[in-house]
Amino acid sequence: MRYTHHLRFMLGCLAALLILPFVLQATGSSYLISTATRLVVFAIAAVSLDLLIGYAGLVSFGHAAFLGVGAYTVGILSFHAYEETTLIGLPGSLSGLVALPLALALSALAALVVGALSLRTRGVYFIMITLSFGQMLFFLFVSLEQYGGDDGMMMFEGRNTLPLLDLNDRVSFYYFCLAWFVLFFWFCTWLVRSKFGRTLAAIKQNQDRLSSIGINAYWAKLQVFVIAGVGAGLAGALSANHTEFVSPALTHWTRSGDLMIVVILGGMGTLVGPVLGTFLFLLLEEFLPLILRGLGLGLLSEHWRFVFGPILILVVLYAKTGLYGLIFPRRD
Amino acid sequence: MLEIRNLCKSFGALKAADDVSLTVERGTIHALIGPNGAGKTTLIALLSGYLQPSSGTMTFDGQDLLAIPTHLRPHAGLVRSFQITSVFPEMSVRENVCLVLQSFAGQARSLFRLADADRAEQEEAEAMLARVGLIDQADALTGNLAHGQKRQVEIAMALAARPKLLLLDEPTAGMGVEESRRIMDLLEDLRESVTMLLVEHDMDVVFGLADRVSVLVYGKVIASDTPGRIRVNADVREAYLGDHELHGEAG
Ligand SMILES: Nc1ncnc2c1ncn2[C@@H]1O[C@H](COP(=O)(O)OP(=O)(O)OP(=O)(O)O)[C@@H](O)[C@H]1O
Ligand SMILES: [Mg+2]
Repeated sequence: MRYTHHLRFMLGCLAALLILPFVLQATGSSYLISTATRLVVFAIAAVSLDLLIGYAGLVSFGHAAFLGVGAYTVGILSFHAYEETTLIGLPGSLSGLVALPLALALSALAALVVGALSLRTRGVYFIMITLSFGQMLFFLFVSLEQYGGDDGMMMFEGRNTLPLLDLNDRVSFYYFCLAWFVLFFWFCTWLVRSKFGRTLAAIKQNQDRLSSIGINAYWAKLQVFVIAGVGAGLAGALSANHTEFVSPALTHWTRSGDLMIVVILGGMGTLVGPVLGTFLFLLLEEFLPLILRGLGLGLLSEHWRFVFGPILILVVLYAKTGLYGLIFPRRD
Repeated sequence: MLEIRNLCKSFGALKAADDVSLTVERGTIHALIGPNGAGKTTLIALLSGYLQPSSGTMTFDGQDLLAIPTHLRPHAGLVRSFQITSVFPEMSVRENVCLVLQSFAGQARSLFRLADADRAEQEEAEAMLARVGLIDQADALTGNLAHGQKRQVEIAMALAARPKLLLLDEPTAGMGVEESRRIMDLLEDLRESVTMLLVEHDMDVVFGLADRVSVLVYGKVIASDTPGRIRVNADVREAYLGDHELHGEAG
């Protein structure tokens, strides 16, 4: 059965992610733990975007904006804690118990506002308006001179603090991110199988029919938009902690594009696919330049995306359900 | 149950509804007939909120319809079906009906219940499918059904909404003789509990079921009467009905 096959694969992946730090340490390549952390963090953002693109048919081209909201919340709180200054009368904070919930709340709020406006449009207009909102936030962050403008800012106080857990330890931090990833992934799996998930499928398949059966598609779309925004905000907050650095680059439109690529490459509407897509993307991003340089194609390694582009086109042409479809081919 | 007063709707220069006034009494089956392009589907779209009228009023169950948003009209008891089949092709037939049921159970945005774990909902959907004669296709992908079967799904979805007033836009068009017969019998059974406004071209269906018939021509209601008197109405004969239909087996 495809389903048990699927389940076994997922448990295998989870086991691999769980033992990964030990394997890396044993093989003397513990520097790769940081890459693995990046993987689980960006997988959260990719999975959240799959809710929109793959399940509700909402092609949002501004998803990285919420990465930025999450990251800047953590960064700005850290900045004021370091400077011992206040923002609108409130002090900064290094506590993860303050920074993370606030990052999620603010990304929810941002997604609510962006969603409320952009979900009134459809199709190409929706793509364009989400792109515009993403760029608006990008330029907003660029204009924040106090927080480094377009250079961004370092978090001099290091990562957020938590009781019982030292996030500055890279293995602890990896497991911390992995726990969030597993939790979010499980939540999304539940969501798409819930009655709300059925409504999203209906929106994707025949949106105009919904009002005749008493469903307001707008509210359903807004609900999933906010949930996905919170997912991206979570990834942003973790990413800021990971790199101890925030900059507008995180919200640049190419970031949104990368996320879309990862979802399409991995297989839309599968949740697992975008995780695989993130894995392949980070792998290529990290090693394709090295490989190209090794092949004596130094010039291409600077512009590795030129090589990556055609790979992506091949995937879209020949593997319509992406990597997921290659691993779980349909037998019907 | 339904009062339409001086309803107008124009598409550019075309008057698709031209000062339409119509009353549908509670507990009746009210047929709406008229030639192609007369504005029948437009009238249903106006009632269900898919189109906004240029002017006029619509009162349903004592409420001003224009004050009720489109997606809330079905919850008020006003449910439509579509002339051009409109289903959810990538869901099973059962799930199409379940989707309607979850909407009326107030669970369209519920994260707390898994869609395929609600046995009661599925059984209710299956009961509905049995009534329209599609139970053996419950697991089939709706997009793969034959045209006539999709029409049956359309009816099952409308009935699953437990309407007070059902607006049926050519429900049996495209169905085989047998299915069409079954749907007619079903509508006859529902006569007691559901008021219906029935758009239909098939005169056998119209004269077999309707308590009252209104005739729409070029957006205007030219007659509204009992089936017997519509049959002999000179204006109607001239504007719409061919003599052969009038003296057919229905007479
Ligand atoms: N959205 C629209 N824009 C412009 N014209 C329209 C629109 N919808 C319908 N019309 C026109 O309005 C007129 C009435 O159309 P309508 O579909 O209501 O007719 P009908 O009585 O349902 O016909 P049929 O028996 O073929 O279903 C037609 O001339 C049609 O071309
Ligand atoms: Mg019509």
